[in-house]
Amino acid sequence: MRSPIFLSFALSVLLNAAARTEASDPQTLADRIDHHINERLRAEGVSPAAIVADETFLRRVTLDLAGRIPTTTERTNFLSQKEDEANSQVRRRGLVEKLIHSPDYAYHTRNQLDILLLLRSEHNATWREYLLEATNENRGWDQMFREIFQPEDTLSGDVRPVSYLKKQLNDLDALTNGASVKWLGVNIACAKCHDHPLVDDWTQDHYYGMTSFFKRTFRTKKGFLSERFEGLPKYTDIYGDEQQPGLMFLTGQKVDIPPLEIDEPALKKLQEAIKKSEQDDKSDPPPRPDFRPRSEFVELALRDEKNRFFAKNLVNRTWARLFGRGLVHPLDQLHSQNPASHPELLEELASGVVESGYDVRHLTQAIVLSKAYARAGNDTETQACPPDLFAVSVPRPLAPRQLSLSLRIAGQNPVKLQEKSDPDSWSVEREKLEKGSEAIAKKLLIPNDGFQIPVTEALWFSNNLSLQNDLLRPSNDRLVGYLKKLEADDEVVSAAFASVLSRTPDAAEKSAIQQYFAERGDRREEALKQVVWALLATPEFRFNH
Amino acid sequence: MNLLNRRSMLKAAGTSAAASNMAAVELLSQPAMADELARSGKNVILLWLAGGASQLETWDPKPGRPTGGPFAKIQTSLPGVEISELLPKMSTRLDETAIIRSLNTKIADHGQGYFLMDRGRRAEPGIEYPHLGAILAHELGQIDSKVPDYVSMYTSTEGRRQGSAGFLGARYNPMFLTDKMIPEDIQLPESISDTDHRDRAALRKTLSQRFAQRMNHAGVGSHENAYERVRGLMASDYLFDIDREPTAMRDAYGPTQFGQQCLVARRLVEAGVPFVKVARAWWDSHGQNFETHRELCADLDHCMSTLLDDLKQRGMLETTLVITLGEFGRTPKINGSLGRDHFANAWSCTLSGCGIRGGTVFGKTDADGQTVTEGEMNAGDLFATIFSALGISPDKEYMVGSRPIPISDFGSEPCSEVLS
Repeated sequence: MRSPIFLSFALSVLLNAAARTEASDPQTLADRIDHHINERLRAEGVSPAAIVADETFLRRVTLDLAGRIPTTTERTNFLSQKEDEANSQVRRRGLVEKLIHSPDYAYHTRNQLDILLLLRSEHNATWREYLLEATNENRGWDQMFREIFQPEDTLSGDVRPVSYLKKQLNDLDALTNGASVKWLGVNIACAKCHDHPLVDDWTQDHYYGMTSFFKRTFRTKKGFLSERFEGLPKYTDIYGDEQQPGLMFLTGQKVDIPPLEIDEPALKKLQEAIKKSEQDDKSDPPPRPDFRPRSEFVELALRDEKNRFFAKNLVNRTWARLFGRGLVHPLDQLHSQNPASHPELLEELASGVVESGYDVRHLTQAIVLSKAYARAGNDTETQACPPDLFAVSVPRPLAPRQLSLSLRIAGQNPVKLQEKSDPDSWSVEREKLEKGSEAIAKKLLIPNDGFQIPVTEALWFSNNLSLQNDLLRPSNDRLVGYLKKLEADDEVVSAAFASVLSRTPDAAEKSAIQQYFAERGDRREEALKQVVWALLATPEFRFNH
Repeated sequence: MNLLNRRSMLKAAGTSAAASNMAAVELLSQPAMADELARSGKNVILLWLAGGASQLETWDPKPGRPTGGPFAKIQTSLPGVEISELLPKMSTRLDETAIIRSLNTKIADHGQGYFLMDRGRRAEPGIEYPHLGAILAHELGQIDSKVPDYVSMYTSTEGRRQGSAGFLGARYNPMFLTDKMIPEDIQLPESISDTDHRDRAALRKTLSQRFAQRMNHAGVGSHENAYERVRGLMASDYLFDIDREPTAMRDAYGPTQFGQQCLVARRLVEAGVPFVKVARAWWDSHGQNFETHRELCADLDHCMSTLLDDLKQRGMLETTLVITLGEFGRTPKINGSLGRDHFANAWSCTLSGCGIRGGTVFGKTDADGQTVTEGEMNAGDLFATIFSALGISPDKEYMVGSRPIPISDFGSEPCSEVLS
């Protein structure tokens, strides 16, 4: 049975692939970003913070694209390129191009998606495998959306993306709101019990209209995803009247439900099959209806010609990941009463991302090539400007994996790491690092808006033996072991700063650490561990800035 | 305020608020906040009866009825008030305690029931509500406190949920004790001397200062705040060491883990920890309800009465609220396994000490304990009552983004009858 939906899906894959080959130069798009951002800065009379130096840019963009700090090898390679042959902008372009096509990018994007979609709550490894495969081939966001919301329809019969729906199936409200918040940038939960009190866009009809798309989806006892032939949510409005909005999307667009063309006995049989599949753990999934509300949801989201939600949400979330706040902020408040800081930019990026076949990598690359992305964060004058001007960079707390991977990289002997820096060895090493960073990542919280570092994290850093005995071990494979063999304090300090903070120390920092060493002449190894610890526990390491 | 009024008011006030995008709940870094927070000196100990204790075997016995079970009721020191014979010690110590017999919280599922009684409201997609401990750590604690402001002891694995501080932020997450009697990572590791540990922290601060100042950012500030608190918290490790208590005191609390944790709880609140939760599991007596309650009630009766005596004797009961609560009660109907199942329609809890009118019994259930007949309260009402007892206005609102969230659920009312 091949439905029209299937055909339109196959067609859109082809079209997207064609569109993507013609994707515009990311630098052109980056310049458009700066055009819009600068236009508003000029209008507000604000001069933005300066562009950061190369070593700051390297750390920032490596954390954002590779999900980890740069190795000292990467740092040396980047900084030692000849100034005369290419200006800084060209060098940065080369760096970005390399990073964004590296396996690190796929891993990092996978980790970010896992947090966005399931808050890393799925312990079945196939879910993360699926995401990694998709990010590796830079699969279009629309295609992932289809695979995740219609896992029954995927070309390959891939069942791995089913985790997303299965995890939320027992709670229709959570499923509806998750679909709206994460995929469409809209939070309609407030409209469950009454029309949204603050936002005219969202009525109770919108809420129940959206739940209608998922109401029929259920999980069979054997673990398959299935959809019923009937069922629509009703609600009682504040006047006590019963309402049933039917299938209604956020745009207000409704879908007519075709009449069920089966006779009474056949329907009864179907219902029995469904009931059996819900109760019997050996029972196969019941037949699928021709009309499936969940597929209608996917079609409506993708067919929204004004790109009001699906594409804008993708742009806005990608932007927020790289700037610490969205063009629309908060990220789940994409509605008429909360306009974007740069509406034209958002429109342009949204239509661009649709044209590119929902190419997240291309969008990401353009954003990090913009001057807006490369602004300094320590400009005290600009810090006072409204944050939605993007005149100054804002420090962003590292996600659990970013931090734990960075700890592992910083703690390693840089020479040993260098030996693994050719692309083939690095792919293997990265997979090892992913595994090796899991335990620490689990201990760390996922940062939310306005994130605060919990004291338990500071206690863990300060006193937990796994940090002391593993990362700070004075053995040959660790940074402390490497520093032990260096003679001059000056050299030690520079090497430690390069490994941990990816920068050169200044005179005051050098002298503070030299004094620390001097007071510990009798226990040099201990002193080395303590200095490395002190650097790892700085906010400069904890944040991307 | 009814829904319509509230909504039209919000609508009038809210459009501009929505546009201005107020970001965080409240800014931690504001010194004025810290001053305000330093005010209360009030503490809370929550005795959490995990799995759901039977109201019929504790505070609302119905002997002689088909639902009554085998245990008798006993006269308490309060005229006309009777409780289960399984709580003999508490029967003579109700002067500072209010018994609430009229909880109707409707949700009789462990997960959702826990959520409800932990947060005072139902889950709602798109917003993460903080739990009681986080709210009270936020309301009663000091921002730069040298002691923990929220300790949660939950040794049993059954029903253990750490919960989250939700929109209040990770600053208010609990120190969660699951294996040991002392929080993880609070003690000096053997691999470093105390002097080096302190100097290392000072070096860290030196190397962080310039960055923190130039970035001038609340998140970075919270990082420095967390590290500032490390040495103070390490210095509070003795609070978890009950060997420092006189033998007589340790004997009074007894050898059970619950007793020892109650003693730790008293030591913590005495040192200024605003919220301590001690969980006692596992009351989920679907089978053998009466044997289970004979054992668990003895522990509860002994530990709760010792704790109240101890707090009273130290003059701390006036500023310490002791809450005895679980996720729900148990069915009046006795099932085929001599068990009682989950039941949330008519059950009991107690509030003792700070802000409570002692010797009160509030609410009534019918003769068989099936329904509330007088003074029905839901979870929001109970939370509003708890906040009022501690001098926190139950109408207080948090701003989450552009949305005002009342500290206790919409439409809830404190129960003035149990408040002093």
